[in-house]
Amino acid sequence: MITIKEYVEGLFREVPDSQDKENIIQEIILNLEEKVQDLMEQGKTEEDAINKSIVDFGDVSEIRKDLLLSADGYHVKKNKINYTNNLWFSIWGSVLIIGLFLFINFYYTPKIIWFVYPVFALLWWPLAMFFIWLNNRKKGNHEK
Amino acid sequence: MISSDTIRGHLDAVILKLIIEKDRYGYELSKEISKRTNNNFEIKEATLYAVFQRLEKNKYIVSYSGEITHGRKRKYYKITASGKTYYMDKVQEWKEIKDIIEIFMEDIG
Repeated sequence: MITIKEYVEGLFREVPDSQDKENIIQEIILNLEEKVQDLMEQGKTEEDAINKSIVDFGDVSEIRKDLLLSADGYHVKKNKINYTNNLWFSIWGSVLIIGLFLFINFYYTPKIIWFVYPVFALLWWPLAMFFIWLNNRKKGNHEK
Repeated sequence: MISSDTIRGHLDAVILKLIIEKDRYGYELSKEISKRTNNNFEIKEATLYAVFQRLEKNKYIVSYSGEITHGRKRKYYKITASGKTYYMDKVQEWKEIKDIIEIFMEDIG
């Protein structure tokens, strides 16, 4: 038979540890145990009482989301910085490679302009990174 | 048992009203809601704590530890001034919504 304590702790297993998490777990356990006792006084067996309390509890995802946002807000921020870094890396990376193409083109074969072709292909890199960065920024704004 | 989105949208007001009457803790509140609605509406605990968290974050309610039961302290909630104001706004808003919706809700005979 699963106990209330095990059930509630299981609900929050994925949430990173924090004082907020500990407080809310304690609060929920205490209140649910009281409910179990009430149900037992009404004539239910302990097992039935616990099962009913668990079934009645409902969907915990809302609380979990709140806890994740408050306790772990820096994760969201960290991701955003990474996307920006990715974008800058792709821009500088492609500028360097374009520079290299330009140099090779004009130093060795100044009469044939071929560097545009690899440059066009290369531009997909920063373009894709820009797209991801933009998408992420929009998502971030919605969350606020 | 009714569990509609319409009620969900007004749970803040329901819970604030009960906390305005007196300081309460979680289970007491859910019992009180069932009692007053003759068990026609039962709040899910998960929803209740999500609302508590939100109200507390917005400083509409504050919590404190109360009497000790089963060796642990119960967490009580208490209304704040801005919580009261928010509740009054909600009541006003509900009255207006009710008038509007009622215009369109009638039996077609």
